[in-house]
Amino acid sequence: MMKSKISHWISFAFLLFLSLVFIFPIYLVVINSFKSKFNIIGEPFSFPDEDTFVGFENYIYGIESADIVGSFFRTLIITVGSVVAIVVLTSMTAWYITRVKSKFNKWIYYLFLFSMIVPFQMVMYTMTSISVKLGLNSVLGIIPVYLGFGSGLSVFMFSGFVKGLPSEIEEAAMIDGCGPIKTFFYVVFPMLKPTAITVAILNAMWIWNDFLLPYLLLGSNNKTLSVAIQLTMQGAYGAIDWGGFMAMLVLAVIPIIIFYLFCQKYIIKGVVDGAVKG
Amino acid sequence: MASIELKNIRKTYEDGVTVIDNMNLEIKDKEFIILVGPSGCGKSTTLRMIAGLEEISGGELYIGDKLVNNVSPKDRDIAMVFQSYALYPHMSVYKNMAFGLKNRKVPKEEIDKKVKAAANMLDIEEYLHRKPRALSGGQRQRVALGRAMVREPAVFLLDEPLSNLDAKLRTEMRSRISMLHKELETTFVYVTHDQTEAMTMGDRIVVMKDGVIQQFDTPQMLYNHPKNMFVAGFIGSPQMNFIECLIQKKSENYYADFTYYSIKIPNKMNDYLKMYENKNVILGIRPEDLSIADKNDKENVMELYVDIAEMTGADYYLYGKINNEKFIANVSSNQNIESDKKYKLKIDVDRIHIFDKINERLICD
Repeated sequence: MMKSKISHWISFAFLLFLSLVFIFPIYLVVINSFKSKFNIIGEPFSFPDEDTFVGFENYIYGIESADIVGSFFRTLIITVGSVVAIVVLTSMTAWYITRVKSKFNKWIYYLFLFSMIVPFQMVMYTMTSISVKLGLNSVLGIIPVYLGFGSGLSVFMFSGFVKGLPSEIEEAAMIDGCGPIKTFFYVVFPMLKPTAITVAILNAMWIWNDFLLPYLLLGSNNKTLSVAIQLTMQGAYGAIDWGGFMAMLVLAVIPIIIFYLFCQKYIIKGVVDGAVKG
Repeated sequence: MASIELKNIRKTYEDGVTVIDNMNLEIKDKEFIILVGPSGCGKSTTLRMIAGLEEISGGELYIGDKLVNNVSPKDRDIAMVFQSYALYPHMSVYKNMAFGLKNRKVPKEEIDKKVKAAANMLDIEEYLHRKPRALSGGQRQRVALGRAMVREPAVFLLDEPLSNLDAKLRTEMRSRISMLHKELETTFVYVTHDQTEAMTMGDRIVVMKDGVIQQFDTPQMLYNHPKNMFVAGFIGSPQMNFIECLIQKKSENYYADFTYYSIKIPNKMNDYLKMYENKNVILGIRPEDLSIADKNDKENVMELYVDIAEMTGADYYLYGKINNEKFIANVSSNQNIESDKKYKLKIDVDRIHIFDKINERLICD
């Protein structure tokens, strides 16, 4: 009894320490976004006081200079478009390759798994050049590229869930008058809801925060939020407006944090379901 | 309402394994047919082929007069009840039952009327707004039946629908399904591995083993005149006793001899036994065709050392061994019987069955 209490407190202390390590950078960004840019480098850890506090000055400056509104909507279109495409298409793919047993489908499944272990940096130059040649270097064009990168993990997660669903329900739908498309959208997809939400959240967070792919593919013409913040706040000769930079970072993460808080209970459920039933 | 006909039906899987070979079956309109057999005998595969959920590798399947080999399940005018209920978990009971009709574009008012009528018949009216997860096993099974009923199909297919229910509920649902068949006047095909379900519900029963029909007949015929040892052993509970014995002719009468006993075989069987004289056959005796012998009984009496005596209420099940083979007797409980004692049992010879030892087919009964 005593032993289990001690181990409980040790794990509590360890997890508390780990949480602080993760929360601390966010805390730094938030407090520094309210300080004058001249005080950030000198006293990065200090809380804003009478001398250093500048209110929302950094936010106003950032919004005015970095085309935040345009970047926000571009990022929104890319994120929503990509997430919808990933959720709908990969769930259909996972259902098909799980239910229709063939050697070809088995290989397709392994190919999806393989795509998960290839690091982006390994393919980024060749992929960028191919995408440009295919005319995918636009706000809508980048969506299929994200679909490609996001499909590996998503197909893996959906497949794990589909394997755990009794196929009799789909057979009952067939007898009840459904073809494959209707069976999928009326019967299978509603059952996939927990995994679909998890897949949506994971992909939304990644795509919203992504810097490298939009930087390489869209450049400075169609800046997304992360690219806009980086390019605008970095002045000539490497000078960085740290105040504006911190303020824009806070603005950029607010939507995705709200989205996460709304859906977080589904993330855990989806990940566990996929893991157990896979 | 429709008849079903299977002509030389074969099912071979991609790996080359044939589970059903050359199956022929004629099911009459409005009949209640049971497919029964041990696990892996092909009964569910047969049902799934009738439903269109399993491709037919060879032969012809007719529902009514229509060849349906290549007709999709939704166009076969069938409804199916699954062992796992297979209810749509995200839909309410009402929507589960209405789904098939909605897909067939039946007007809303008519759907409502049919769903409520079926719910009333199955006592599930108060659960119509609930999701399946908020129902018990028995209630879910009734919803599954209701979903099939509202469609008013020509053929009702039921795949072990009672297997997931407890014993009491199973008995209740058994009679409910039989009543349903009477009221709906539709062809029912029912799969089970439980011979009690088969015997109590079916008009006729198909007994299957290794993908082959062993016998297709009424429950009475299967019980009284099984065609082979498999059917004899499968139908009836506790199962029939089999004893290897020697057929001998003594002064115009035939006798079945085993260990120290000689059982006199009724004269009606004489003609069948001529070619088995001095040969070994298998004698089949149902446990219920044995009784505790009177002191005056001298003929057709055998002795059993009872290892275990189980009292079931009206009867005793007496477990012992003859020829090192398990032997069971089912005798009346109006006298006290104890384990680890010897009892004399009288055999009702008019009800014995004699099987060929080699091909296990019935010689006479």
